[in-house]
Amino acid sequence: MIEERTEQPIVRHRPPAIAPVAVPMFARKGNTARRRRLENGAVFGVQIILALLLLAGMYALNAVGGNLVMPNPNDIVAESVLMWSDGTMLKGLGESLTVISLGFLLSASTGIFLGVLLGGFRVLGRVLDPFVNAMNSTPGAAFIPLIIVWFGLYTEAKVVVVWNAAFFPILINTTAGIANANKELVEMARAFGAKRATLFWRVMVPDALPSILSGLRIGAAICTVGTVIAELTMAQSGLGGLLAAAGNRFQMDRYFAVVIVLMALGTLITAMLRLAERRIGRWRVSLADGR
Amino acid sequence: MSAPIISLRHVGKSFKDGEVRALEDISFDVRPGEFVSLVGPSGCGKTTLLRIINGLIAPDEGEVHVMGAAPQPGPDLAMVFQSARLLPWLTVAGNIEFVLQLKGLPGSERPARARALLGAVGLREFAEAFPHELSGGMQQRVGLARALAVEPKVLLMDEPFAALDAMTREVLRKELLQLWSRRGIAVVFVTHDIDEAILLSQRVVLLRPRPGRIDEIVDVSFPEPRWQQDPRTSPAFVSMREHLWDRIHDMVRDGAELEELAGAFGNVDWSTATFHRSFL
Repeated sequence: MIEERTEQPIVRHRPPAIAPVAVPMFARKGNTARRRRLENGAVFGVQIILALLLLAGMYALNAVGGNLVMPNPNDIVAESVLMWSDGTMLKGLGESLTVISLGFLLSASTGIFLGVLLGGFRVLGRVLDPFVNAMNSTPGAAFIPLIIVWFGLYTEAKVVVVWNAAFFPILINTTAGIANANKELVEMARAFGAKRATLFWRVMVPDALPSILSGLRIGAAICTVGTVIAELTMAQSGLGGLLAAAGNRFQMDRYFAVVIVLMALGTLITAMLRLAERRIGRWRVSLADGR
Repeated sequence: MSAPIISLRHVGKSFKDGEVRALEDISFDVRPGEFVSLVGPSGCGKTTLLRIINGLIAPDEGEVHVMGAAPQPGPDLAMVFQSARLLPWLTVAGNIEFVLQLKGLPGSERPARARALLGAVGLREFAEAFPHELSGGMQQRVGLARALAVEPKVLLMDEPFAALDAMTREVLRKELLQLWSRRGIAVVFVTHDIDEAILLSQRVVLLRPRPGRIDEIVDVSFPEPRWQQDPRTSPAFVSMREHLWDRIHDMVRDGAELEELAGAFGNVDWSTATFHRSFL
């Protein structure tokens, strides 16, 4: 939506003979904007209703099944306030964030570096393709016992679990993005005398940037999952540890308070990366006519 | 007469390990500052020929000389493509500065040069816009400005106006003629539009398909400058147009028959298949 707006004032400077299609678009603009506002309002309204229905369902389930099946939402709020005020939640969040960010940084840097290498050197990519595929197809949890033997039970081992889960989507997206770089743009640069290194760094890698960014977004989401799995299965710590402790003692209100934090954390991370993706990849909007 | 800037002698090219013959025995010269069009139905190897002249691919047979040497992609030969092929992550000025950098121009001179060229195609105020913010015609102007920015000796154009609407095409043809006559660059212009070829060029090289070879080379002489008086209504234009269309209709008819034959009898040898013409 933002991109559309920046386009229109620029087109307005042109004599109408060059861009005759732009004229009828202005006439309809007011109408479309109103319709879009209406739609946005309707979507938000339905979302609120659904959220309230969910909450009502929780109360109903609590009334029917008791505290073990579904804790009373009021208790969840009370437990959340308690956990935030006594520092339990903050400590857990800090431990989890440490693992997530270390794991993400490690998988992003190694994934992009190797992906650029595999995408740039076609033969190397072909040689390593079956190995990458085999590793990527193995469920990450299968490596946890091995990682425990090699790295122990604490933060460094958890970071390795997270790296193992997020590395491959980042690697594969980077490789694919570079290997599938726009051939027309590559030929254009070649026609103007670009050499291999220039072609690679100035055309193919920038062209792959949106693909690399979606790899990072997928990788980050997997990092959250990997962190919780590591914290549940290895030395209990962080939000995953709190989850396990509460679950084992059937403290379901406490358990739900942690789930809400995890939900918010995952949503926040994905939203941030989506924003970055949109900002950096804004020229992809009308890809077809930008070439 | 000055020495040719481009010279092709018996150029041939095959694809798929010699299975598909794209070009055969192509010989012609382009003089400095001359405007030559390559015309022909699809499949006659026009674009392949242009890429050989650019040095992007090498011919299998024959010799190509551009300014006395084998062609090499670089700033002496600039290409304008059917779609503008602008780098979408760079601004309009950034796209032109990119090729100026490839040419080896120092960084301090690039912005001014890019802006001067954008001025020449009437897009000075769009220097900081991104390609996707421009219309197709404006993008193609940027493509033209980018090609002119490297100050080429030869401008290679691969159906540059084919994807544009009729009005924009008309405007850009006129601008191209003006830019060409001012700069004295040799132009090799690929098109499938007969009118466009006659309108713009001093010589039209008509190609036949399968394999691509030269059918006829026609000299076009209209009073210059052409952008001031449209030659399209003159009797000379009309008769040249008729003549070229007759040739093309012949080729297309041959091609259609050959394809029909191929469909009916499987793999027919093209060279012996022409007997079919006598039935009609």
